[in-house]
Amino acid sequence: MRNVCVIAGGQSVWGLRRATQRDLFQEAGKACFEDNNIITNKDIDGLIVASAYTERCSFQTHLAPLVAEYLGIRPRSVCARVELLCASGSSGIIMAYGLIKSGVADVVMVIGGEKLYTPQRWEVNYSELGSVDHDWDGAMGLGLPPPLFAMVAKQHMKKYGTTEEQLAMVSVKNRRNGMNNPKGQFREPVDLQTALEAKTIVRPLKLYDCCPVTDGAAAIILAVEEKARYFTDKPLVYIRGCGQATMSNMTANMASWTTWEALKVAAGQAYQKAGVGPQDVDVAQTHDCFTISEIIEYEDLGFCEKGEGGWFIQEGKSDFGGQVPVNTDGGLLSCGHPFGATGIRQGIEIMRQLRGDAVRQVEGARIGLTHNLSGAIAAHTVVIYGRDLE
Amino acid sequence: MKGISILEGKYAVSMDLYPQQGREFNRIYPFYENLKQKRFTTTRCRSCGWRAFPPRVICPECLSEELEWVDLPVKGRVLVVTEEEVGVPLGFETPLIHALIDLDGQLTMFVRIINCASGELKEGDEVRLAVFPVEAVPVEGKKGTIIPQERVFFAFEKVK
Repeated sequence: MRNVCVIAGGQSVWGLRRATQRDLFQEAGKACFEDNNIITNKDIDGLIVASAYTERCSFQTHLAPLVAEYLGIRPRSVCARVELLCASGSSGIIMAYGLIKSGVADVVMVIGGEKLYTPQRWEVNYSELGSVDHDWDGAMGLGLPPPLFAMVAKQHMKKYGTTEEQLAMVSVKNRRNGMNNPKGQFREPVDLQTALEAKTIVRPLKLYDCCPVTDGAAAIILAVEEKARYFTDKPLVYIRGCGQATMSNMTANMASWTTWEALKVAAGQAYQKAGVGPQDVDVAQTHDCFTISEIIEYEDLGFCEKGEGGWFIQEGKSDFGGQVPVNTDGGLLSCGHPFGATGIRQGIEIMRQLRGDAVRQVEGARIGLTHNLSGAIAAHTVVIYGRDLE
Repeated sequence: MKGISILEGKYAVSMDLYPQQGREFNRIYPFYENLKQKRFTTTRCRSCGWRAFPPRVICPECLSEELEWVDLPVKGRVLVVTEEEVGVPLGFETPLIHALIDLDGQLTMFVRIINCASGELKEGDEVRLAVFPVEAVPVEGKKGTIIPQERVFFAFEKVK
């Protein structure tokens, strides 16, 4: 069976950008090639583009050939777009992985991004009504997801005793991790008191409990091992396994709001394929769209027992020096969240951690994990990377 | 100030808050016809008995097309309440009140609560179905005529 490696990655600056979607894709593509100056745009045989709001905010479909043209790539194995809202990027990665593993493609760029800030700000909030089940949840006013995650937080707090301080600790940690990230949306630290006293968005979630709206793009290159050895002189990082699961979509069909069963299924699949368990993970990037999300992800990824996620952050187990540092580049809470780019940003940070050249390095990390959530907690995507094949 | 002049007076389905409800556009139109009668309904499979929500045109369990319309309870009890103060989508007022409600053990639903002041709704409160008209769809008829197609939608309100 062919092995698949990650050999380059880069992103545009993320934030409120004075740029179009295609400007951002160009910046990300350039940053990716600059990360590895051995490989060029002419060496790429496949291109997968991840974007959720390309039609809504840029009025552009058929995006992959456009991006190929702008980056000087001439795809011949695959040239298409994938969409899974917030997990479009990691969906692109697992599809590229499958195509390379099966021999359909050899060297694939996965590039994702969004231009979300349009001349009138209501537009992106409104478009969110089409990201949940439009006819049923959207018509109830479930647009931007703070109300949904506030309900998750309230139930988790009631059931397991999780506190607002513990929620705030997640944002304090991730803002600290993002301080030196030159491409992140927020690079200022936040202290616990500031986080706790911040403006309420939807009780109990306050400003720093929520990730922002973000313009940005990110790109990563995957290659079959034989070509990876030719195209990079850096340590090889393998994709060891992945899983993507969904068990319901509309909120009325969600079995539990505080245990994310589809996440457990996706993680179980990824761990099994990779031949590792949660105890083997040295570093993880999880989907901290809200602070409560990261706490539940500790639990359902198996880093701690169910209900103990609040203690996991409070005891520093997800921080540098702890059991498994989580969101070492700042996560969504610091970097921002241009939907289609987020899973790619997570993959880039894990690649850097395993190569040993991250901005904030977890010493000796050999196994890394990414988790991407999408929709109304409707789908979960987990990818496990390793410095070693076994 | 004018917007985009060529779009003046135009209706875009991709910007519509509410679903298409007329029989020309939607096979589950009976849901909305029942809703106008203040009935909250869904489909149940005659072959395997699976009660789906939202209503369907095939059974998601056995794929049968033999579905029947059944009534759901119109009263429920509040499990969790949230009030959205920032970022409420166009078409909804602030604070936007949502509740997770238990519909007599048959369904747990995330719903909008209307006719309710901030801070008024509490866990354990009883709520009932509230049906209200929403903007009609301007459907193009022959020779450029525009025929408004009436619509309704639902939320829940506190039983006082």
